[in-house]
Amino acid sequence: MNEQMALEPIGKNEYELFFGPAHPGSGNFSVKLKVDGERIISARADPGYLHRGFEKLMEYRLPIQNAVLSDRICIFEALNWNLIHAEAVDELMGIEIPERAKYIRVIMAELSRIQSHIIWYGVFSIGTGFDTGFKMAFGYRDYILDLFEMITGGRVYPTGYICPGGVRRDIPEGSEEKILGVLNKIDEMVKLEMMGNPALLSRVKDIGILKLSDAIRLGATGPVLRASGMKSDVRKNDPYEVYDRFDFEVPVSNEGDAYARYMIGIEEIKQSISIIKQALKELPDGDFVAKEFKKPKLNIKIPEGEVYVRNEISRGEAGMYMVSDGGTTPYRVKIRGPSFLHMIPVLEFLLRGSQIADVPAIYWSLNICPADLDR
Amino acid sequence: MRDLESENELLEDISARFDTDGWVQRERRVWVKVSKENLISMCKYLKETGFEHLSAISVTDWLKDGEFELTYHLWSYERKTLLTIKTRIDRENPIAPSVSPIWSRNAQVHEREMHEMFGVEFEGNDDLAPLFLEDWQGPPPFRKDFDWREYARKEYYNKDNEREAVYYE
Repeated sequence: MNEQMALEPIGKNEYELFFGPAHPGSGNFSVKLKVDGERIISARADPGYLHRGFEKLMEYRLPIQNAVLSDRICIFEALNWNLIHAEAVDELMGIEIPERAKYIRVIMAELSRIQSHIIWYGVFSIGTGFDTGFKMAFGYRDYILDLFEMITGGRVYPTGYICPGGVRRDIPEGSEEKILGVLNKIDEMVKLEMMGNPALLSRVKDIGILKLSDAIRLGATGPVLRASGMKSDVRKNDPYEVYDRFDFEVPVSNEGDAYARYMIGIEEIKQSISIIKQALKELPDGDFVAKEFKKPKLNIKIPEGEVYVRNEISRGEAGMYMVSDGGTTPYRVKIRGPSFLHMIPVLEFLLRGSQIADVPAIYWSLNICPADLDR
Repeated sequence: MRDLESENELLEDISARFDTDGWVQRERRVWVKVSKENLISMCKYLKETGFEHLSAISVTDWLKDGEFELTYHLWSYERKTLLTIKTRIDRENPIAPSVSPIWSRNAQVHEREMHEMFGVEFEGNDDLAPLFLEDWQGPPPFRKDFDWREYARKEYYNKDNEREAVYYE
């Protein structure tokens, strides 16, 4: 294990062990483990290393500023969080989004989902000692970052590309061929992932089994819930943008172990590729931003009201509860990140009774992001 | 857009049972208001009727009304509807019953966060230890009357330091 450890003897064979918060090992997060020999008796999550108070910050800022701020909620899924913020403001203001903007939003959100799933594969590999997977994943992810740079101007942070009213710029000419070219590369990557490295498989099969009843009880969503046997996807059950027009499958598995969760991720990359291809084929002409937002206005009043927006991001269900009292800034914003429940109740539950050596496999199989936990 | 038959049906059912106000916002979005006394019995009923997933718990600080508004966002996998329960509690004496016996550790950790950020006490929650903030001595930071600029000036800047004096101008 490549973690920095702090040993504290409790009983004869019992001691306390820190997993994390070294960035390459666990991200900005740590778990306090109580261990008897090699077996974990109890685990307590210790979040807060990335707490930036976004919910409070947004109360002081205009929607045009919050669009940029929303990038930072999760480093790996900046565009998805952009989209959630934009949808919340759109719904409060009752703006009609042009068709073309909706399609561009879907294409960007799905590209972002693919690159997030690739990172998942990368960190899952390095967590279990398979370095090749990590390097491969980050290599292939760069093709998508090139697309982001071309379309939004930023590689990782799009600085509010998906903004209230639509998107900030139209996609440049010739993007379609480039996106399709990158998707072919990703296909290649998926084939490599599917080969199944025996060293990796031996460490993740039958590890960290989460039963369906426990998954629901602890509030798991997204790939974690689907790997435990529940066919549930916000894009299908609570459709937003134009997801109801596309034909795609929701992968489900009944095993509920670390391996099943990771396979769900790979299947989802394939489905996302198919969604992007359909969206590119049907991409309509027209405006990319609503009339009201053609020229960016600073002091727009958000009408009084409240909305709860849900999206399916790569880690699970993301939500934003926005309340406005009629001012120019939101009165209250609550951000619901999927990792909040995956990293506290689900992780603590799965670690109890497992072995020290299995901690990284369980931890990374949950597709977690400390940034959207802490906010 | 389809008609909102199932949403209206749900709202009618809840209103008849608990004598509450509510409205259907759009498809798959229903909002209801409930008193603090009826909160637990309503939550129990909803959990039994399929609202198994507690998506989030949030608090809104209505400073001018002197009240905290607690919102519980529930999702039903069967009905495919998001129901938000809103309940108001006194701001001076912010005590609410815990829903952690109903939604287990999920509710427990959401309440723990809201306790830390707004100072709301959840009766029946077994663990309200600090979650994100380490060694925090100030008031609950997400309250509307907490002036973070003033707090930072007082706690972290030195007026006599030439470079930090600008924060006092």
